Amino acid sequence: MDRAFQRTQILTNHLLRSSPPSPLSSNACLSYSPPELSENNAFDVEEMRNLIDGHNVEERDWLFGLMKQSRLFNPRVRGGKVFVSPDYNQSAEQQREMTWKRIEYLLGRGAFERWLTEKGEEIEMRRFAGFEVFSIYDHSLFTKLGAHFFLWGGAIEFLGTKHHHEKWLRDSENYLIKGCFAMTELGHGSNVRGVETVTTYDSSTGDFVMNTPCESAQKYWIGGAANHATHTVVFSQLHINGTNQGVHAFIVQIRDADGNICPNIRIADCGHKIGLNGVDNGRIWFDNVRVPRENLLNSVADVSPDGRYLSSIENPDQRFAAFMAPLTVGRVYIACSAVYQSKVALAVAIRYALTRRAFSLKPKEPEVLLLDYPSHQRRLIPLAARTYAMSFAANYLKMLYVKRTPRSNKTIHVVSSSFKATFTWNNMHILQECREACGGQGLKTENRVGHLKGEYDVQSTFEGDNNILMQRVSKALFGAYMAAQKRNKAFKGLGLEHMNKPCPVIPSLLTSTTLRCSRFQMDALCLRERDLLNRFVADVSKCKAEGKSTQQAFLMCYQLAEDLGRAFSDRAIFQTFIEAEATLPAGSLKDVLGTLRSLYALICIEDVSYLRYGYLSVDNGANVRREITKICSELRPHALALVTSFGIPDPFLSPLAFNWIEANSWSSV
Amino acid sequence: MASSVSSQHDQVLVEVKSFARVLTLNRPKQLNALSLHMISRLLELFLAYEEDPNVKLVILKGKGRAFCTGGDVAAVVHDLRTGGWRAGANHFMKGYTLNYLMATYSKPQVSLLNGIVMGGGNGASMHGRFRVATENSLFAMPETAVGLFPDVGASYFLSRLPGFFGEYVGLTGARLDGAEMLACGLATHFVPSAKLPMLEAALCAIDSGDPEIISSIIGRYSEQPSLKEQSVYNRLDVIDRCFSQKTVEEILSALEREVVDRRDRWISATIQTLKRASPTSLKISLRSIRVGRFQGVGPCLVREYRMVCHVLRGEFSNDFLEGYRAILLDKDKNPKWEPSKLELVTDTKVDRYFSKVNNEDGEDLKLPVRSKFKLPSYVVAKL
Repeated sequence: MDRAFQRTQILTNHLLRSSPPSPLSSNACLSYSPPELSENNAFDVEEMRNLIDGHNVEERDWLFGLMKQSRLFNPRVRGGKVFVSPDYNQSAEQQREMTWKRIEYLLGRGAFERWLTEKGEEIEMRRFAGFEVFSIYDHSLFTKLGAHFFLWGGAIEFLGTKHHHEKWLRDSENYLIKGCFAMTELGHGSNVRGVETVTTYDSSTGDFVMNTPCESAQKYWIGGAANHATHTVVFSQLHINGTNQGVHAFIVQIRDADGNICPNIRIADCGHKIGLNGVDNGRIWFDNVRVPRENLLNSVADVSPDGRYLSSIENPDQRFAAFMAPLTVGRVYIACSAVYQSKVALAVAIRYALTRRAFSLKPKEPEVLLLDYPSHQRRLIPLAARTYAMSFAANYLKMLYVKRTPRSNKTIHVVSSSFKATFTWNNMHILQECREACGGQGLKTENRVGHLKGEYDVQSTFEGDNNILMQRVSKALFGAYMAAQKRNKAFKGLGLEHMNKPCPVIPSLLTSTTLRCSRFQMDALCLRERDLLNRFVADVSKCKAEGKSTQQAFLMCYQLAEDLGRAFSDRAIFQTFIEAEATLPAGSLKDVLGTLRSLYALICIEDVSYLRYGYLSVDNGANVRREITKICSELRPHALALVTSFGIPDPFLSPLAFNWIEANSWSSV
Repeated sequence: MASSVSSQHDQVLVEVKSFARVLTLNRPKQLNALSLHMISRLLELFLAYEEDPNVKLVILKGKGRAFCTGGDVAAVVHDLRTGGWRAGANHFMKGYTLNYLMATYSKPQVSLLNGIVMGGGNGASMHGRFRVATENSLFAMPETAVGLFPDVGASYFLSRLPGFFGEYVGLTGARLDGAEMLACGLATHFVPSAKLPMLEAALCAIDSGDPEIISSIIGRYSEQPSLKEQSVYNRLDVIDRCFSQKTVEEILSALEREVVDRRDRWISATIQTLKRASPTSLKISLRSIRVGRFQGVGPCLVREYRMVCHVLRGEFSNDFLEGYRAILLDKDKNPKWEPSKLELVTDTKVDRYFSKVNNEDGEDLKLPVRSKFKLPSYVVAKL
């Protein structure tokens, strides 16, 4: 059926269906019209879901089902449908207990089977899928599991050696041991090398002695420490015979099996937070705590029984870098979960915009659907394109991680830092826009979108402050540039190979055809990255020529560094989109992805940096904006299918995404 | 208003009672198994009633000791053998279309389940607004025993039962009585059969299609039956522990772990039932229920239709014909399933049942357009 005709029919039905006006009201009553009945899927949403979820789709549905079918996950019926979401009106203490009960339930159902006792791609991908699913239910559940599995478990796996693996991993997988990760202190977060906790070795007894020498050295934000954890990995300076050997990691028991805090350990709560109240974040002080010698996680350095320091890595910088491995995997998990929160928010906001009307264009005409306003399309549809782009980039990042080799470590570090920062920032932006797009209903906790802002704000801080991570990305690009120049060799790695080719040229007049051409889009993104990298190197070199140290020079050039970091991320994300699109046969799926890819590229190119540095003329800037609005209206008919493909089951969205009139009816009070 | 019987020979009897229409499935010798003719007739009637402002309520019941025992498998097999898989699929296409119409019906349907209700009989009743069980009710979805899978929208209504009861009922074909049907939500009311004539008369006397009014009338004749001590519904904890497992193999090992510590006839019988069922059926059924849990009733039926097309085409297994032979034709109750073991039914084999039928004449189920009717909110919630 012709679309326009269909729309008219829908509007007519809307009018005819309305009950006759009562003497008290001049307006007909509104009724909820499900978008499923008026919108058509032009492509196979299951196929799309398989593509963007990328892996373990059946496993995901099984885990969603485990949660939906259990009373522990707080099911409530609203508007005739079941929704699951924690009761955030409970006290923080109650929420923590519920998080723990949910973990026990999932454990009993085998949800974490082989998570720590098996290695390899298959199990790592399964774990990623699990974490993504749990994050969709609740960030506290994700975070508490994350602290135990990828921080505590990851520390033992990456920093420990065989006897640690044998002693701790199986018991951790079964939660006989509940682990946490004590890195951050009140006085030191991102600068881990500055932590003040001190550990010395007592060769007379053969164990370490750990101390919190001052208040700023208290361990802070330790997820799991306040109530449940029995063990922790502590990051501490290691002093051997008066020499500080730098930061090392130790396993320390903090509670006995009955949950009593161990002697010489003091633990306090971090208090109520703006989100994540289902996680028991705690503070820890150590008072001459005795730690057995074999509890030093000794993959890179060890202490002999007689107290000699032994390390396979001489360079303290490299030694320290090796200790950061668990944080890298943490960044991958965080980046991926951020994408799924954007999916939840967009699915709710777009479904709502397909059912909520506001203002008539002419008197007595039906009010217009929110998503039929070009301005509303412009607010939400580019965010959907961004979310698709992030999905492909997240899948790329996961594959990069599970196929890691010693040689790819540097790339993983740079890409995970860049994507973690970019995705979590994007997510906060998307959540805010979606909250506003839902109007007042977005403020209700049960509708999720607004509440997620508080829950996910922390992602821009944990596993590395976003700003600092992005500075590191720029520094790494600077390093790659210098290395290529010094050795007079071509750029290789980090996607910088385009630097070896002639500089792309942007046509003086950008037509619609050019703007939608992937070659142009890639050229435009590469051009910015290339120019900003050149400028950054030039400015840093100039500062150094003026007598500043490299570190000082980086600090002075922070504005360029930020722009460069963003340019790298945008280009790297775009690259993954192109690659995903290329895997598809011609057809409706590829067509819609091509349009989304163009939209994603154009919102990147619309960024102020293109005008600031003069890559686009003012006229071309206007052409880009015009094309964006055109694409938004082209994608409008696909809006429902695009968010259905996110694969978030209905019970994990919110009442606002469905029959919000019935959900708010008097009979449901 | 006088009642009128349209035709004595008709397989669906129609009575016009004021604003109600009473439809009686009338093939008592075949326990009211749904022939293609009956399905077409029901479709025709339901479509017409929806347009007719003088109809506000549809009552569906069965003549004899069954409400309805399901589709007419013998006829399906006959058509499959003589006309190819498409001819067989035609039965299901019509049936599923009827299921969708009932699930999204703008007027309330009251099904009086005073007897056996199995397979397609559930498809003709469970999607409607009111399901009245009695002490004579006997529910089952026994498809896995004959090489099929719980269809007719069962992946929608079974997956929405409490906990993992739906997986249990769908995989084992367990029989439930009226009290159990009410307890788990398959039935909305329980009315002793002796009171059914009074209930029917009361429903036929009203001039309203308001579900609340209908519910309160049925409520007047309803009782709260108590579950038998031996009821499976008292074993929900075991069912949840075992049937929540990820795979059929893991469900079986979980059940076997349960009997290690203590002998339990019910668990042992459940294990035996699963071991007798078609391995392919078990695996596609589990996947179907799990996927269906998060799909609307329309997408569930579209998917089930894809699945049944694959079953009928026999590309990956001929368990359906073998099940028909062993259980319904030769009645030797000794089917030779192929693949014969669970581990031989790999994930990729299961995947194929869920794929689009790749054939020039294979097409997806087309659902009737529902947007022109004002659908009640309990229907909107199922979309």
